[in-house]
Amino acid sequence: MSEAVMSEGLWLWLTLLAIGSTTIMTRGSFILAGEKGRLPPALQRALRYAPAAALSALVMPDLLLDGAGVDPFNPKLAAGLVVVVVATRWRNPWLPFLLGMAVLLVLRKGAGW
Amino acid sequence: MESSFRRGAREGMRDFLPLSVGLVPWAMVTGIAMRSIGMSPLEAMGMNLLVYAGTAQLGTLPLIGSGAPLWLIFLTAMVLNLRFVIFSATLAPVFHDHRFMRRLASSYLLVDGMFAVGAEKLQRADDPHWRWGYYIVPSVYCWLLWQLCGIVGVFGAAVIPQDWSLEFMTTIALTVMMIPMLRERPMWVAALVGGLGAVLLRELPLRLGLIAGIALGIAAGFVAERALSGRASR
Repeated sequence: MSEAVMSEGLWLWLTLLAIGSTTIMTRGSFILAGEKGRLPPALQRALRYAPAAALSALVMPDLLLDGAGVDPFNPKLAAGLVVVVVATRWRNPWLPFLLGMAVLLVLRKGAGW
Repeated sequence: MESSFRRGAREGMRDFLPLSVGLVPWAMVTGIAMRSIGMSPLEAMGMNLLVYAGTAQLGTLPLIGSGAPLWLIFLTAMVLNLRFVIFSATLAPVFHDHRFMRRLASSYLLVDGMFAVGAEKLQRADDPHWRWGYYIVPSVYCWLLWQLCGIVGVFGAAVIPQDWSLEFMTTIALTVMMIPMLRERPMWVAALVGGLGAVLLRELPLRLGLIAGIALGIAAGFVAERALSGRASR
């Protein structure tokens, strides 16, 4: 095994540890302190928006960008819209994955988009 | 005579079991998604053990895959996990009379589903043994389910052809997670501003655009909430 691959492996484990530390830091924040903690109400309300903002900030670039520029007509956005429709209409947890991947694969491979 | 721990455990499992079925596809998809960015089975299983948080795992995968700097990956995971600070503050009184190791275990095992199902009962119950049984037994069951179904996904990924754009499963998963959050209008604003901000600011150095977009989204949601509630009360 080459040295570059070794350090890449170590680097990845370090990264996983860093991500894991956020799990303990957030979930343990008040439970580990052991006291009856209280979060300032304004902060608590602002924190509610963090997951939606972060998920969208991760998803939208992947759906809207094709290569370097914004492209509103690309197979990933089409598949993403199908996922949104399927997930809002049906409760089956497998369906968004199956149909989303099917649309992407059909458009890319079948239609050569 | 049944102990109060066992009575708690029984009731906790009864409440959590129906919800836990929905975890199966998530755990498998996360397993497949980790392999899709080139992680080895050992690394993928290590991530499931070390992180044990689906959103943070799926959300950081695109960053790990594209070689983003460590601080950005860390910050993104932190933001995706921030909601647990609220859960932790809510549940702290429930566990405050337990020893440190138990509180550490409760923290590591605290997931959205168990909080959603049990937080109210846990806060109302007086008996600490009942509370411990009610929380820890379904939480350990949830952990086992996540790890085992994750392993199925990790090894199942090898069967799927390489050119099937499997990394898109991550985007699908993150989209599906976002949908139930968008019931209120301020959440819409937060998501819209966060997403468009990340798209428009993508040229910023060090991939700061992602964090800047998220910060703008949180601020926009907060401002929208103020504006909407002000208009309603007038």
